[in-house]
Amino acid sequence: MLDLLKKLYNRESSSSRTQANNRLRLVLTHDRIGASNELMETLKEEIMEVIKKHVDVEGTPEVTLISQGRQSALDINIPLKGR
Amino acid sequence: MEQNQGQGQVIVITSGKGGVGKTTTAANVSTSLASMGYKVVVLDLDIGLKKLDLILGLENRVIYDIVQVIEGECTLKQALVKDKRFPHLYMLPAAQTRNKDEITPEQVIELCDQLKPEFDFIFVDSPAGIEQGFKNAIAAAQRALVITNPEVSAVRDADRIIGMLESANLNDIQLVVNRIRPDMVKADNMLSVEDLVEHLCIELIGVVPEDSNVIISTNKGEPIILNEHSSAAKAFHNIAQRIAGQQVEITNFEEDTSFWHRIRNIFGGR
Repeated sequence: MLDLLKKLYNRESSSSRTQANNRLRLVLTHDRIGASNELMETLKEEIMEVIKKHVDVEGTPEVTLISQGRQSALDINIPLKGR
Repeated sequence: MEQNQGQGQVIVITSGKGGVGKTTTAANVSTSLASMGYKVVVLDLDIGLKKLDLILGLENRVIYDIVQVIEGECTLKQALVKDKRFPHLYMLPAAQTRNKDEITPEQVIELCDQLKPEFDFIFVDSPAGIEQGFKNAIAAAQRALVITNPEVSAVRDADRIIGMLESANLNDIQLVVNRIRPDMVKADNMLSVEDLVEHLCIELIGVVPEDSNVIISTNKGEPIILNEHSSAAKAFHNIAQRIAGQQVEITNFEEDTSFWHRIRNIFGGR
């Protein structure tokens, strides 16, 4: 009974509206700068090569696109190895 | 009423995706402005796929078209179709048997320059797509209304169009959300107006609810503005008022006043 009520009243995070919003967020960010997933991978690899020449990297680096309004930015997060 | 002293404003109505309601918006917003006393002309730039004449119910009055005006086969005055129901409303029909690349952006600018002294508002109904027809449609515009539906593909295309308008230095852009279904938004099964504004990051000028009266009016060739029971008519009229510079609140059709909603509120549910 409780489950049924939950189903009826709970706005689940997987509602079709939420899915539409998430999918749009992704395609719009990529559309706006003309970037594909492959490009993001290429960017990540090449940026890492440059960084690795000078410092030691530890963990998994992340290169993601972030957007605020119609502006987009590359968010590069590279954990470095301490001495 | 504030009359524009001999310099009409050129407003393009565009969307990227087809079938979202560009022509319906162009027809009804212009009709509404004309009924408010402004002198309004609507240009159909969907050359080869004309529909404005049909939506306005003026298809039997068309003699010449925009391509004939541009090519000098007739005068602009001869080609303008006057709407007998709204003495301030005129339409310049598209050609049906020609192509979009038979006219240039420069020719559209020249045409609008001729219309500006005569009209307060010059609406340009753009074709779908991002090709030559779109470029012609935005060439003379100072302002753009981007029409979208609460649907992922329409929003994506609208975003592309906004980017292209900005690249063309057309920065006065406003959003019309057409065919929203408040019940579906409530059930979390449709993108809300807020969602769309957040994605597209442009100013909202109007929200038009899904309304079967639109199909009925189109069947008859009557502007929906004439139907006082239609919520879409009210929404189009509100858009017209905002274009004319009036401060009108945007009706929030998402406010659900249904019986079940009130019952749920009583029990504190959402």
